[in-house]
Amino acid sequence: MLLKTSGLTKQFGELTAVDGVDLELKEGESMSIIGPNGAGKSTTVNLITGLLNPTDGTVEYRGEEITGKEPHEIVQKGLSKSFQTASIFPDLTVERNAVVASLGAEHGSFSLNFFKRLAGYDEVAGRARQTLEDMGLYEQRDIKAKSLPYGDKRRLEMALALAGDPDLLFLDEPTAGMSPDETDDTVDLIQRIKEERGVTIVLIEHDMEIIFRVSDRIAVLNRGAKIADGTPDEIRGDPGVQEAYLGGVEI
Amino acid sequence: MSEQTETATSPENTDTAGLLGRWDELRERESFSILGAIVFVIGFPMVFTNLPLFNGYMSLVELIYVWSIFAIGFDLLLGYTGLLSFGHAVFWGGSAYAAGLFSANFYGEPLLMVLVATVTASVLALVIGLLSLRRGGIYFAILTLAFGQMMYFLALGPLGGITGGEDGFTGVAVEPLLGALSLEREFAGILGTLLHDISYVLFAGFFVLTVAVAVRIVRSPYGAIFQAIAENEQRVRFLGLNVWRYKLTAFVLSGAFAGVAGGLHTIHAQYVAVGSLYWITSGDIVIITVLGGIGSIFGPVAGSIAFLYVENIISGEIAFWLLVLGSLFVSVVWLFPAGIWGIVTGIRSTVRERLLGDDS
Repeated sequence: MLLKTSGLTKQFGELTAVDGVDLELKEGESMSIIGPNGAGKSTTVNLITGLLNPTDGTVEYRGEEITGKEPHEIVQKGLSKSFQTASIFPDLTVERNAVVASLGAEHGSFSLNFFKRLAGYDEVAGRARQTLEDMGLYEQRDIKAKSLPYGDKRRLEMALALAGDPDLLFLDEPTAGMSPDETDDTVDLIQRIKEERGVTIVLIEHDMEIIFRVSDRIAVLNRGAKIADGTPDEIRGDPGVQEAYLGGVEI
Repeated sequence: MSEQTETATSPENTDTAGLLGRWDELRERESFSILGAIVFVIGFPMVFTNLPLFNGYMSLVELIYVWSIFAIGFDLLLGYTGLLSFGHAVFWGGSAYAAGLFSANFYGEPLLMVLVATVTASVLALVIGLLSLRRGGIYFAILTLAFGQMMYFLALGPLGGITGGEDGFTGVAVEPLLGALSLEREFAGILGTLLHDISYVLFAGFFVLTVAVAVRIVRSPYGAIFQAIAENEQRVRFLGLNVWRYKLTAFVLSGAFAGVAGGLHTIHAQYVAVGSLYWITSGDIVIITVLGGIGSIFGPVAGSIAFLYVENIISGEIAFWLLVLGSLFVSVVWLFPAGIWGIVTGIRSTVRERLLGDDS
């Protein structure tokens, strides 16, 4: 088992944002977490990736408990996250963005190398270049990240999340705000990442079409609790899901 | 005809572009900044003390180097890492007292004094950093301010027996450099013209060393990580980097630079004023760094020159020099948010566009 959450719960005061969620994920499997707005999807991911501490419950990664660990510790174990809004370094060049990501991958979470020349680390430069080439961003390496078009910013965001060769990648609404063309490109990209890198992907998405195209399994959240978990076909036919998520409309 | 003009002008353009490219390559080198600092310490006193407009004097030149070292270290924190400390007087004043006390009770060799000062400031920065870096933004600024004021009142009251309280510490006893070279010893001939005396070599030497060390830090992995933290701290955390430790290192490094400067200031003034720990000193270093231009090595130097010039020379001419300083600060920050150094780099890029003949 790659990832397992048991009874994961988060309370903000009176509000229970995540309510006893159990998830299990095998290596190589693609899972999607869906649910209406406010269902607790992003909070669940934040609990797993260490941005928030759960009120109750545990998270296990490869059998090891990682509940309450710092994000950088969790990332170093091979669990990465791509943010919903392009979380990049706007005033640094595209290349610098990739270099910072590569530093985290090559030198661990902390290194006392403040008196060594960055230009002397060939492995860092190499990884940064490889990452940008894979994402088709190498040509734009010298421009500031904030000058990239929106779709490219999102790709840079994904490049940052992939630079460390994660085993498990959370993608938080990777196509939000994209044009249909950009969405298609992104779905292709996700497929390619799965196949070429063997990354296990957890997708948080609204767009049903994308979910059915890229997921092996779907977990449905509603009001913080998991109400269904199964293959796309099972979820499609689940009356409870249709009721909660789609207001009874046939998918 | 049009083809002819094209072939006639293009080689010239590529020549300029080629030269500019080579110039950029040179400028990118670390040794370029260090060489720049060396040329500066040789040329600056001549301009500053001889030209009638400036009315500078050697002692002020040395003081400018001391504050420049302080400001370069402060900019590592403010400009590069994006952390505003409002209590840097602790490291400046604390290290100044440490150097003074060491000279009075043990041995006043200048290099040892600076070493003691640097170690003291680094330890102080480690402790205060551990206590205040857990909070971000304005809370961090206020916590550092609070620690600074605590130290000030400690030095003023409870520790008055050691620090001299309100009178400051007057027992500074500076010995010759390396036990042999008196700081007042002047050089003869060409060396005398260029480097003046041992004292100048000491201060200018530490200035050049500071530039060299700071340039190296900025070009190390830390430089990239510091800038990334300043831009998007959460992202850095999700790249697997321990932001907290990098911030603490930035804070300690910055404190260490302040320590070098504090120790040198004791040697320069032969006295430690209790005001060196006061919050106004913390404010001065913020003003100097922002005035000069944050996020660069030479901006803080430009800021030190402007600030000390107004404080020491203009103040002799105009009674309300603080008003002059305030107006200077407001107009520079208002018109050129990148500070004095931003004006310099702005002119540089205009010139290069002209040279490349960017008509389009």
